[in-house]
Amino acid sequence: MLLEVCGLKKGFGDEPVLRGVDFTLAREETLSVLGRSGCGKTTLLKIIAGLETADAGALRFNGRDLAATPPQARGFVYLYQEPLLLPHLDLRGNLAFGLKLRKRPRPEIETRVGELAERLGLTDHMDKAPHQLSGGQKQRAAFGRALAVRPALLLLDEPFSKLDVAIRAEMQRLFKETAAAYGIPSLFVTHDLKEAILMSDRIALLRDGVMKTYNRKRDFIDDPDTGVLREVAFWEGLRSQSHEPSGTAD
Amino acid sequence: MSPAERRFPALLVALACLFPFVYLAALSVAESWRFPDLTPQGFRPGRWLTALTGSAGLGRSFAISCAISLTVAVIATPTGFLASKFMAAHRRRRLLLFLAYAPFVMSPAVIAVCLMFVYLKLGLGGGVAGVIAAQIIFSLAFAMVFFNGFWSPRVKAMEDLVYTLGGNRWQAYREALLPAARGMLLICFFQAFLISWFQYALTMMIGAGKVQTLPLKVYDYVNEANMFYAAMASLLLALPPALLLWLNKRFVFKQG
Repeated sequence: MLLEVCGLKKGFGDEPVLRGVDFTLAREETLSVLGRSGCGKTTLLKIIAGLETADAGALRFNGRDLAATPPQARGFVYLYQEPLLLPHLDLRGNLAFGLKLRKRPRPEIETRVGELAERLGLTDHMDKAPHQLSGGQKQRAAFGRALAVRPALLLLDEPFSKLDVAIRAEMQRLFKETAAAYGIPSLFVTHDLKEAILMSDRIALLRDGVMKTYNRKRDFIDDPDTGVLREVAFWEGLRSQSHEPSGTAD
Repeated sequence: MSPAERRFPALLVALACLFPFVYLAALSVAESWRFPDLTPQGFRPGRWLTALTGSAGLGRSFAISCAISLTVAVIATPTGFLASKFMAAHRRRRLLLFLAYAPFVMSPAVIAVCLMFVYLKLGLGGGVAGVIAAQIIFSLAFAMVFFNGFWSPRVKAMEDLVYTLGGNRWQAYREALLPAARGMLLICFFQAFLISWFQYALTMMIGAGKVQTLPLKVYDYVNEANMFYAAMASLLLALPPALLLWLNKRFVFKQG
């Protein structure tokens, strides 16, 4: 397994957030982590990224314990809800940001940035400042900036939650295609049921600080705890109502 | 309202702002200026040279004031930036913020009296170093309170982003935090400079009258009823703030 998370615990004050989280992630796999707001999804991602410390438990990547590894040495890139583009850099500078931090040679930076800009449809906007970009373009730029450093693992914290429906669908498609093309494993945190199913190879449900992983999407759908069955019942109920005769004419 | 009519009130405001400078400049070079005359009786521009280089020591006071205020601003701004970051991440953030306000609760003169004993024991009384150390208390407290609002979750996320992209702490500051705070850093620097620039009571007491900054000179000349020298010292006192105001307008407010 690429990533192994064993018995991860974390609390803030007297409030336990993670009560023993266990799961694994295979190479080139995307695992969706579904959970309500405030259930500890972000805390889990931050611990994996090395931005928070766990109270107990172990993290292994490629069999190597990560306890003493700082975030910059882990090679995991965290994508936030907000694109967090640096306002003093143009789009080109933002895409190249991670590579410059890693002091990559200039020709390599130019090649990678050009290639990513083309894949993400950003070529025409390279000299624009972040405030001149649309919401979707900003999120694509943030995604490109993360991919440019060829991360060992992508940690996505509801990255599309602030986008409107159409752009969100476009970003979901783009993410799936690009992650597959680069073979980058990812943990995709969301509170959106549909997104969790669409984006991943496997799904996990984080509830009350404990994570339940489903190896097959069928198992996830059939589990009454996930809410999929309630959702299906809702839409079917709506459809059957719309087929009933609708009142009498005057 | 036509453009010419709109320009008129703006012109009045500009004249009102400029009037004190013009009046002080005229007074500083006046041979004599008796009531009820509207204009001075003759001019003596050579007085400036005498005041700046002669025994009056205005030039020296200007240089000391600049040195003290620049040192205070240069120390207080980055220290306040870093201290406010520490404060923002601290679990007792509110208490620390409350304590940062403490120097502004009391008058600088009261604080100077409280500090006097310590400064004398440390051998800092009556010297420039002591005055700088005393003035930093106010400027640093201002900087800490000023930057407190900067350290939002968004800025923290930006810093974390640098780490996950492979950057170290120094790169996080250089590439993300300092550029994001550029405008605030400039404003804080100017404000810290001004807090120090106009400080009177603290300089007077900690400096024991030996550190003759410009505000002290102005008060001295006013007490002596030497209005020509008071006008010169006041003009010199107003010069850096006016320059900073112009720099602020040009480099800070232009950013948006």
